[in-house]
Amino acid sequence: MEKLLEMARKSADQAEVFSTEQSSSSVSFQDAKLYDIRTNFLSGVSLRIIKDGRLGFAYTRNLKDRQGLLDNALDSLRGGVEAHYGLPDTRVGKSLATYDPAASKLSSADLAGEAKRICEILKAASAGEIMAGAYVSVDSLRVLNSRGADLSQRNSIAGSYSSIIFPGSGSGISREVRSRAMVKMPDNLIAEMTDLFKQGQKTVQPKGGRMKVLFMPESMITLLWRIVSGLSGRSVYEKISPNAARLGQRIFSPKLTIYDDPLNDAHPGARAWDDEGVPCRKLSLIEQGVLKGFFYDLKYAKKMGAASTGHGYRGDIWGGDPVTVKPGPFLGHLFVEPGPASLAKLISQMDRGIIIEGVMGAHSGNIPNGDYSIGIGPGLYVENGQIVGRVKDAMAAGNIYETLSNVVEAGDTLYPSFEGARVPPLLCEGVSVTTKA
Amino acid sequence: MFDKMEKMLAGAKADYIDIRYEEVKETAIGFSGKELTTLSANASDGFVVRVLDRGGMASVAFTRPEEAEAAVRAAAENASLFSRNTAKPVRMAKAGSVRDTFAPKLGEDPRLIPMEEKLELLRKYNNIPLAQPKVVTTSIAYSEVYRKKYYLNSEGSRIQEDLLTTSIRGLITAKEGSLTQNIRVGIGGSDGFGAIRGQERHFEEKTKLVLDLLSAEPVKSGSYNCILNPSLAGVFAHEAFGHFSEADIVETLPAMREKMMLGAKLGNGILNIIDDATQPGQLGFYKYDDEGVAVRPVQLIKDGVLSGRLHSRRTAAEFGEPLSGHCVAEDYRYAPIVRMGTIYIQPGEKRFEELLQSLGDGLYLLDAKGGQTSGENFTFGANYGYEVRQGKLGRMVRDINISGNLYQTLMDISSVGSDLRLSQVGGCGKGQSNIRSCNGGPHIIIDNLIVGGI
Repeated sequence: MEKLLEMARKSADQAEVFSTEQSSSSVSFQDAKLYDIRTNFLSGVSLRIIKDGRLGFAYTRNLKDRQGLLDNALDSLRGGVEAHYGLPDTRVGKSLATYDPAASKLSSADLAGEAKRICEILKAASAGEIMAGAYVSVDSLRVLNSRGADLSQRNSIAGSYSSIIFPGSGSGISREVRSRAMVKMPDNLIAEMTDLFKQGQKTVQPKGGRMKVLFMPESMITLLWRIVSGLSGRSVYEKISPNAARLGQRIFSPKLTIYDDPLNDAHPGARAWDDEGVPCRKLSLIEQGVLKGFFYDLKYAKKMGAASTGHGYRGDIWGGDPVTVKPGPFLGHLFVEPGPASLAKLISQMDRGIIIEGVMGAHSGNIPNGDYSIGIGPGLYVENGQIVGRVKDAMAAGNIYETLSNVVEAGDTLYPSFEGARVPPLLCEGVSVTTKA
Repeated sequence: MFDKMEKMLAGAKADYIDIRYEEVKETAIGFSGKELTTLSANASDGFVVRVLDRGGMASVAFTRPEEAEAAVRAAAENASLFSRNTAKPVRMAKAGSVRDTFAPKLGEDPRLIPMEEKLELLRKYNNIPLAQPKVVTTSIAYSEVYRKKYYLNSEGSRIQEDLLTTSIRGLITAKEGSLTQNIRVGIGGSDGFGAIRGQERHFEEKTKLVLDLLSAEPVKSGSYNCILNPSLAGVFAHEAFGHFSEADIVETLPAMREKMMLGAKLGNGILNIIDDATQPGQLGFYKYDDEGVAVRPVQLIKDGVLSGRLHSRRTAAEFGEPLSGHCVAEDYRYAPIVRMGTIYIQPGEKRFEELLQSLGDGLYLLDAKGGQTSGENFTFGANYGYEVRQGKLGRMVRDINISGNLYQTLMDISSVGSDLRLSQVGGCGKGQSNIRSCNGGPHIIIDNLIVGGI
């Protein structure tokens, strides 16, 4: 790595070597039976060079031919991709608990044991079709650059997930737990799943119209995706964010506070620096509904005359392979502040509405604008604070800048959600729901 | 290469073992508005080993050749763990051993075209929408993915196959006042660079459409009878039905599996759906899947009756149905899973004008914009549409999302047109992505679709 950097430095004004090594295992149970065991040993090296304000980029899985890799990066300079930013000289990052040695000792048998345990409980407690799985991943990252940054970090993440599928429908109630090493899926989370499943066994066909909607962790992706798009420095630069001129203004309900906190190592995936080596910090995005800031990587910060907020990551909303993808602005540690209400209390406040446990089509539509139009699957229909049954064939649609201005209350429990986010259930009112009835 | 792969497996004892090595060469060029944001050509490679032993199955993907021994050992250990913990041993349907080398015929080999020429072609297309003042940005990328695959198994198969996928795709965004609208663009295929030359018309048409969308009305949500154009009919075939013809999806959903028995009446009698990835030149074309099984056409629905299914060797044994050659991986990072190849609704006899007449009142919806399935329910977007009154096209409408139930909707297909078209670019995510996922159909009428609007 050092040798590659040395060679690259001689041919360019600035150079950066990013490397990753990951080993991961996962075990899945389907219909409560062991279905698959997978293991990955993936590694790779990625090189960025900047010369005369132009960017060169290259990657490989096996660093055998350093000159070949450098030549690929030099070739790519010829295209003229602009790069007017400077790489950071970060010497040390904040010390964080990102790795638990217990994760490295987890065997496939341990993973299978936990998944099997969850299956057995769910099978005994419900009439649904049971899916469950457990996984562990240990990786090390290193960022080296020509300004003297040499940062490395080891991470571990382990987790389990399960779904109770409504027979015949193929969709169900799902939950997940994540930590730095294996933790058992808590009993109360399992009970929450089985309770919701039981109450959704009967299908109902309510009339559509404007009603309350409770976004659960599995459906929060609909809102989060559009929030991330609307707060990205890139969207502001490209003039597709509706928020460009709204800094300091109220854009959401005062009940909503959202921030990104990579330094919070109570959860797995904490980061002291981003994939460009810029130190991470807690970034306030929405405070009681007021827009506080946008997030940037090096490139878009430079274009907007701002400083990088430490949000340059190799991967985006669609995931992506960190070795083969260039850094871009991304929020990977999003927190929506919890409210005072338990799940039961949230449901009791719904005179008429739908608890959305799963969505389809969250990834389509006019995302920068905040529009969404999603198929609900499954959704539990509530009347007078009581779950009546599972709604058949329904869609919810709206714009997040309207929906999130109508927050009734946030739940008191944070759940893992989309790409490392931690979110409470969110009850909103006046959401347009279409059904066949 | 095969000798090297054989050596990697030398110490392993198992009922069955296979190994796949892939070299992937990717060229990427991207514009965001006028700015060139990406230009690179790179290669990467890796291996996947699968072991089946005493009814237990496991896979390991690895990128360092020196890790082969550890990978093979891990796969064997996990297969053994699986075997000890299952009451239902995994079996694989019998497949003959194959020795073959196959590379598709290319219209024009993109690897022989200089980077500068690719860049200029992309710039030319990108400049078409950017010439319009209301177009605020574009996001348009050229992608060329060349996979050189080597497959070897313990039954004697040795297959080397090349797959080359070329595309230009992206999004044009236009804005007027506070209204932003966008439209997808996409051209390409698996038969070389020729498919993306001379496509100015495509970008001109899409530019006009996105500008028209700025003065279109949002669609009013509700239930409508709709004509779907071939692009949408293809996504419908893929999302609403196709995923449930993938045997690994229904395999472990007992209630759905029961409903999806071969011979079940699923659709209107005019409905015929096939998966046929054997047609050279189509985006989805390949010869062997990633288990070394030759792909064959599978008639999935015949006259409304479920008549076939897409399989891996594992699911074919489980269902007692014939092999189909549909077990496919994204690349060397993944073990293969059951995927659609080229799925389409087979054409009927009606001309478009006849469909309009028989629709009467409703919507004409065009061009797919993402779709998703969750169990029996599906959702997908249409880029734009038109109101239809008494068989005549009316105002343009925007912000269209459709939702429905698989079983109900297949019964609600009331007319099938004669004008089959297949997609040129693909993308299906099922844990791993498939850029060659191809779909299509003719114009069709579906009654009572839920349209969500915004």
